[in-house]
Amino acid sequence: MAEFRLPAHSRYTEQPGQHHPAPAGATRVREFRIYRWNPDSGAKPRIDRYELDLDQCGPMVLDALLKIKNEIDPTLTFRRSCREGICGSCAMNIDGANTLACTCAISGIHGAVRIFPLPHLPVIKDLVPDLSHFYAQYAAVEPWLKTRTPPPPDRERLQAPEDQERVDRPSACILCACCSTSCPSYWWNSDRYLGPAALLAAWRWIVDTRDEAQGERLDALEDPFRLYRCHTIMNCTEACPKDLNPARAIADIKRRLSARGH
Amino acid sequence: MTEPNRPLSPHLQVYRWLPAMAPSILHRASGVFLSLASLLLVYWLVAVARGPEAYAAVGRVFGSLPVRVLLAGAIAAFWYHLIAGLRHLALDADLGFDKVTARRSSAAVVVLAGVATLATLALAWHQLVLS
Repeated sequence: MAEFRLPAHSRYTEQPGQHHPAPAGATRVREFRIYRWNPDSGAKPRIDRYELDLDQCGPMVLDALLKIKNEIDPTLTFRRSCREGICGSCAMNIDGANTLACTCAISGIHGAVRIFPLPHLPVIKDLVPDLSHFYAQYAAVEPWLKTRTPPPPDRERLQAPEDQERVDRPSACILCACCSTSCPSYWWNSDRYLGPAALLAAWRWIVDTRDEAQGERLDALEDPFRLYRCHTIMNCTEACPKDLNPARAIADIKRRLSARGH
Repeated sequence: MTEPNRPLSPHLQVYRWLPAMAPSILHRASGVFLSLASLLLVYWLVAVARGPEAYAAVGRVFGSLPVRVLLAGAIAAFWYHLIAGLRHLALDADLGFDKVTARRSSAAVVVLAGVATLATLALAWHQLVLS
């Protein structure tokens, strides 16, 4: 059953967060309100406020986070790596939507920039959520080529360019978890619902003409929870920083299941 | 794996209401409301079966303001649920899955349901009050 409220120990307080005012003489001041939780403190999560001079800061939200960590508060904890939208590490909830901090422009946000960890996950520290379950669900769809026939002795398994194009887009998924953790259905049922990221990965292999386990893949998904908790809310497609369409992929899986009958 | 003291990160509390999310929840809510409102229909049918006195009593109940407001709500829920359901049918047929079209179609559902509700209420007003 959907639990709309946060458990008592998870409720965050706006006060008494720490406030770090902008340096004197700053002209383009922008406030960043960031979710903080320290496993060693025993306290509830809180919101800290940092004021930055945007003239002294790079254009992206990740630039601001790095500036805060380097110059204001080294205890601020978050994941980041490539800073160009290809690793998926800095996925977080910015201004009420899941996206990558490195490709999210500060100028596109009005007012204070509110930053939270990806929604409805156990928090390890600050903006770092525990994604173990998410990765386990990805592994559960067996995202690798499965075949029965032997490969040609002299070359790889060939595929027509148009067949390759079908898997091009879903293969661009970086597993940042923006989509799955934007999905209300995943919030309430992530223990049994695979979520958009894992289902997009499953679809990527279902439509791959080289794969020979389509039937087994569909069998594994034919379940009221694993697949059919998708109610086409489409938050996943709205959230995807790579502009992929997990909602459409899930609908295609449902259509394939209904087309093959029982 | 999960440490028991780890807080759950905020979800509904922080997520912005996207153009897709609100209509989806409204679809669920209108469905639940319609199911409950169908009890009124059952009440009415039972009264029909029981005879003229019971039927007249139901007429008085249905004529009262609170029940009329409830019925107006049921009409709105009916239209919204029907039109949003047709949108879902189109999506299931792989129509309108790109982001822009999906946003527009969910806005269109709200507008169409509003227009249909007003038209139905106007018709009811015409039938019940003016004539």
